Amino acid sequence: MSTDYLVNITIPMLEGAKITILLFLIAIAFSIPLGFFITLLSQSNNKVISGISKSYVYVMRGTPLLLQLLFICFGLPMIPVIGEYLVMDRFVAACLGFILNYAAYFSEIFRGGLLSIDKGQYEAAQVLGFSRSQTTIKIILPQMFRIALPAVSNESITLIKDTALLYAVAVPELLHFAQTAVNRDFTIVPFFIAGIIFLLLTLVLTAIFRWLEHKFKFE
Amino acid sequence: MTIIQVSNLQKSFGQLSVLKNITFDVKKNDVIAVIGPSGSGKSTMLRSIIHLEKVDNGSIRINEDDLVKNGIYPNDRKIKQITHKMGMVFQHFNLFPHLTVKENLEIAPLVVQSEKIEIVRKRSTEVLEKVGLSDKANVFPAKLSGGQKQRVAIARALMMNPDILLFDEPTSALDPELTGEVLKVMKILAQEHMTMIVVTHEMGFAKEVANRILFMDNGEIVESGSPEQLFSNPKNERTKSFLTKAYQ
Repeated sequence: MSTDYLVNITIPMLEGAKITILLFLIAIAFSIPLGFFITLLSQSNNKVISGISKSYVYVMRGTPLLLQLLFICFGLPMIPVIGEYLVMDRFVAACLGFILNYAAYFSEIFRGGLLSIDKGQYEAAQVLGFSRSQTTIKIILPQMFRIALPAVSNESITLIKDTALLYAVAVPELLHFAQTAVNRDFTIVPFFIAGIIFLLLTLVLTAIFRWLEHKFKFE
Repeated sequence: MTIIQVSNLQKSFGQLSVLKNITFDVKKNDVIAVIGPSGSGKSTMLRSIIHLEKVDNGSIRINEDDLVKNGIYPNDRKIKQITHKMGMVFQHFNLFPHLTVKENLEIAPLVVQSEKIEIVRKRSTEVLEKVGLSDKANVFPAKLSGGQKQRVAIARALMMNPDILLFDEPTSALDPELTGEVLKVMKILAQEHMTMIVVTHEMGFAKEVANRILFMDNGEIVESGSPEQLFSNPKNERTKSFLTKAYQ
């Protein structure tokens, strides 16, 4: 097996990895704020609003991501009357699916962070005269994000691997090119290369989150 | 001059009546120690004064303003305005763990009162010096001992220039060897004529620093008086029995 061959099959896979990374970045950038918003809704005193938030999380966590992706890509366009307006670019559709799904997980992570904050923090803020929104922004949220960080890190690593699900909706990403090379050349080497690329991505992510956790250690 | 007037305070949690007709006054510069067995309603009474608990009936007047009158509270803005002149120190410190000592002190004056940063800086330096923690200004609470944390909590309360300071068992969560440093700071405040209400199990402190003792049991003020009178010549049987146990 020549070096040329390795380079030849790796280049398209790296191209595919670009899609993987792009999807990852878009999903993270939108699902974290959306997840946080869902957390806030879940804390609402209004039963309808908190109910909507809970149902959303239940549905998104309770069904496979793959099913959700297939539904958005192929299911929505089949809906009578409005279906024709719901045809999206596959990549856009996939991004939407990932954002909606991961937002549910992130919202639960943030909710866990909120629950673990001692009620003494709220009382201290109250006697110092903080308003509700000042308490949330200055006292509660920074602590919530810090508590959530390890779980967010874990979820992000899951996300980068889940991007492989793009394969199922025929968006050419890393795994697609690996599979193509395997079929064409009858060799398992591309699978190893794909694995190594995923490991490298995970390594970078792990390092970033380690750094964040260290930076926000509050010690 | 009376600055807190509590009358006929009543509160229950379901069937359990935790405050039964609590009535007492606090005069300016008073240091009042509230003693009594666990579950006697001391903390609930204290927390009611700063609106961390709502009472069912009775009145609390602070600086001539009604925080609650016959069980009826004014709107939130008014409540905030009335409780604003009080500070509180908690048993478990409740420092903000994501902020350094200095930031813990400065956040409320900056965020709540929108004071100028130079003024706040200057005051935090002075207050930290007062509690003996100037060298810990840039440290996070996680790195402090319990006694140091409680001194920071006192400093944080002082930053708001309160007229009245409430202490809810400030030394109960501390190792015995660390209570001294906290009590020392509280003594200094008393000498500077800060009006204080201190819920405490530290009989020595109550005797030495307070000018009046309230003994509570079972949701009532059973007996109140000067430390001399209450400690050496308690009139009520329950007070006697509590003090005997406390000194065993």
